[in-house]
Amino acid sequence: MKSVLVIEDEPAIRKALQRALVSAGHPVQVANNGTEGLEALKTQTADIVIVDIIMPRVNGVDTIRAIVREFPNVRIIAISGGGNFSPAEYQPHAIKTEAYLAAATVAGAHAVLTKPFRTQDVIHAISTVTNLPSGNGSLI
Amino acid sequence: MKTSISMRMALFAVGVHAIVLPALYYGFNIVVTRSDTDLFVQHVRTLSRNLAEELELGDALGSPQRVANLLDQAVINGDGVFAALVDNGQEIQSELNSPGVHWLGRQDFTFRFDTDQIYFIALPISRPDHTAELRLGFDERPTNEQIQSAMRRTLWVLVIYLFISLTAAMVWSHSLSRPVVQLQRSSRKIARGDYAQSLRVKTDILELHDLGSDLEYMRNQLVGVNERLQMEMSEKVRAQEHRHELESRLRHRQRLETVGTLAGGIAHEFNNVLLPIVLFAEAALAESPEHTRVHQDLQEILAQAYRAKEVVEKILTFSRSAGAPKPDLIDLEPVVGEALRLFRALIPATVELRVQLSGPYPPVRADAAMTIQMVMNLCTNAYQALRDRTGVIRVGLRELLEPATGDGAAPKAFLELFVVDSGRGIEPGTVPRIFEPFFTTRDVGEGTGLGLSVVHGIAESFGATVSVETEVGRGTTFRVRFPVVPAAAGQGSSNEHMSGASI
Repeated sequence: MKSVLVIEDEPAIRKALQRALVSAGHPVQVANNGTEGLEALKTQTADIVIVDIIMPRVNGVDTIRAIVREFPNVRIIAISGGGNFSPAEYQPHAIKTEAYLAAATVAGAHAVLTKPFRTQDVIHAISTVTNLPSGNGSLI
Repeated sequence: MKTSISMRMALFAVGVHAIVLPALYYGFNIVVTRSDTDLFVQHVRTLSRNLAEELELGDALGSPQRVANLLDQAVINGDGVFAALVDNGQEIQSELNSPGVHWLGRQDFTFRFDTDQIYFIALPISRPDHTAELRLGFDERPTNEQIQSAMRRTLWVLVIYLFISLTAAMVWSHSLSRPVVQLQRSSRKIARGDYAQSLRVKTDILELHDLGSDLEYMRNQLVGVNERLQMEMSEKVRAQEHRHELESRLRHRQRLETVGTLAGGIAHEFNNVLLPIVLFAEAALAESPEHTRVHQDLQEILAQAYRAKEVVEKILTFSRSAGAPKPDLIDLEPVVGEALRLFRALIPATVELRVQLSGPYPPVRADAAMTIQMVMNLCTNAYQALRDRTGVIRVGLRELLEPATGDGAAPKAFLELFVVDSGRGIEPGTVPRIFEPFFTTRDVGEGTGLGLSVVHGIAESFGATVSVETEVGRGTTFRVRFPVVPAAAGQGSSNEHMSGASI
């Protein structure tokens, strides 16, 4: 089974994804944020990374860019439920979940999932990105 | 005291006549009286001398009968009332003498010598054999009456003359004052706001004609100034109304946006809550035997979680429609002004904000709230590009014409929003990527890298284009070009022929 790294700042989601993926038979690591996630990849490599877009400090898109640059063989699934980074920032409604996920795809994500999703959705996404032809699936 | 021209002229005529007419009358009186009395006296003396010579040279003195005949003739021929001859102490009187008239023993040398209205004259007659005296009296009244009737006629003539000349003066003064009165009426109407009144007058008097022409010229100038003033005022009122409308629209939009942002934020949080619920419930469901109570309960939890997901989607749909832009033809000047007012409050005094707005500008298709956000993002970007947070940010609008492309197309008009900073500038290799979402050159945690991609997205939704010119160390200029919508025509949008990194 493919090993999975979950990078997510929300503990409940982290735990839930871990539980679901472990049940499906995947070895799972978790990380609180992008920096921790990159450190984790350096010490113990993973086949697949599930990364949230909206995270404090290093956001998901920057994390994806770094993973694509440093670990080109890792497959990436971006997840997002939309929302704003911080209420203080002047953000338009034009920025929707789809826009975040589109940015993630441009940065190099192989698949995207909109929160909330079902267990079967994430299992399906994992099999999809696993079956992609080798090499970089990034659009850039 | 103020008096009218015609009144003045009438008073002048009356005054002149009051002096001239009595003088004329008394002059006439003197002339007529003198000539009539001279005539009377001359006539009377001639008659008396003839009679005296007749008596002196003829032989009538010898016969009392002939003397009496001569005396009678004197009475008949010359308004006589008394004729007598005293010869050697004997008095012979004419039988035609008026009764009651007696010789009063005097001789008159001037007309109207005494109050009895009889002119007495005595002439000595000397013959060798007689020493006689001819005594005659003539009536002065017919001559007096003649004088008086002549003076009455004179008076009548003068009265008629006075009447005619006063009438003429009044007519003349009226014709003089008519154009002046006309001017007065017209100018009063103008003062009341009726500017259509002409001040040109029909008159043969050169000065009045010229005055009317000059006043008419002045009126035309005044009407021009007045119309310009009224136009300017109504324009100001319109601009103010426009500003009020914009403000109220913005307030409305901001309220909706606040609600939308709040609802959107809550909805997204709910997505984060729902995901673990769904995943945990599914995990538990997979491990619970079917047809058990727990399995059914877990299925119920999942169903409710899906329902909650639908509710969240509805809320998101609402929040997006609440904040959705509705591009319309708007005047950008007040919108940019409002954005800069908001921005100025956010930056320190070390930053000089130069605003270059000098409308009116043609309206362009845009949404006020989105435009404000775009200006805010561009300005924030410019501010963050400044070294040590000091420098100049120049923001403004200008109209420009893209030259015709040569294939017969008309030149395109644009309204350009420019934001110029004196900051660090952008590395040439980085320029093509600056509008990408999440692209930022700033340190981690300093920004999301969404600002310029939002600017690009908003500009695109208006049919506008964004371009950038930059030089490292000198600064950066962002230009947003809004196509000017030709009157009563759709908008054309084209990204061709734009300089710089147009995206």
